[in-house]
Amino acid sequence: MASTEIYRYLIINQQHYRLDPEGYLIDIKEWTSEVAEALAKEEGITLTAEHWEILHVLRDFYARYEMAPAMRPLVKAVAQSLGPKKGRSIHLMHLFPGSPAKVAARLAGLPKPTHCL
Amino acid sequence: MQESPDDSDLLVILRHGPHGSSWLREGLDAALVAAAFGRCVSLLFMGEGVTALMPEQQVGPLGQKGTAATLEMLEMYDIETLLVDEQGLSDLGLSRDDLMLEVECVSSEVLASFLSEHRLVLTF
Amino acid sequence: MLLHVVNRSPATSRVYQQALSGMSSEDRLLLIEDGVQGALPQLVRYYAEVEGRLFALKEDLESRGLLGRCDASVQVVDVDGFVELTEEAERTVSWY
Repeated sequence: MASTEIYRYLIINQQHYRLDPEGYLIDIKEWTSEVAEALAKEEGITLTAEHWEILHVLRDFYARYEMAPAMRPLVKAVAQSLGPKKGRSIHLMHLFPGSPAKVAARLAGLPKPTHCL
Repeated sequence: MQESPDDSDLLVILRHGPHGSSWLREGLDAALVAAAFGRCVSLLFMGEGVTALMPEQQVGPLGQKGTAATLEMLEMYDIETLLVDEQGLSDLGLSRDDLMLEVECVSSEVLASFLSEHRLVLTF
Repeated sequence: MLLHVVNRSPATSRVYQQALSGMSSEDRLLLIEDGVQGALPQLVRYYAEVEGRLFALKEDLESRGLLGRCDASVQVVDVDGFVELTEEAERTVSWY
């Protein structure tokens, strides 16, 4: 669920972006590519074209279904938009190590996925 | 008990409409969590629960999100077996064509067999 | 065989209809909480189709002063009996 509790701010060029206790953007509308890059830096990730296309799949998923996907539906959505070679958990694990559904949702400016632990 | 691979897992029975309570959302959440963890999930819309499938649902007066987007998302979670209680539909003067998703109508006679066939049944 | 559990009175709620339509011919039905009202002779007719497979929870009848007023066709079980019914059933399905 989207949290509304402001925990800290992400600061980019004196602009303050509100983050919830788990580091997710509180207002999805504040998301920009600079925000994504700053959040990625916190995760130790440098965004490449392969990352960006996943973030866009996530943004589209959210626009359509009003929720951030768990891992399985994310894999399915990626397969549908980018083809079966990329729609595999190994690909996502490689790009967003740890918990791809959670990490990628955070970088895409979405709330934390509801249906995964 | 006999188990066939397709229908032996979780059946979630949804008996409440959107907006009036949080039962529908909680039932859908349970279904999505189970599906996210790889369970084979079927949904049965029963009684008033059939109104969850009405097209053109809107955000509630207090800004509550509707469930239409979630219902459309079911296929992304591979929840493809959607059953509707025929009696519940006709009690409201509705038919299958009025609903927003492709569903399978189930008569009272067959309904009971769906309950026995699933390894787990949750009612919401 | 499944054990179905209903906790609402047929006088005020139509949940009993959903429970009945979910029942196979072997399944049993246990009335608990406000559901035990359904064991009264005036209301037990709603459960005619499951006669012989209808149970009501003693503790809930007792606390409502209804224990002596149960219809003879209803089998009264206490909490231990509830546990036994649960054990005998493959699964329990709650209707509320």
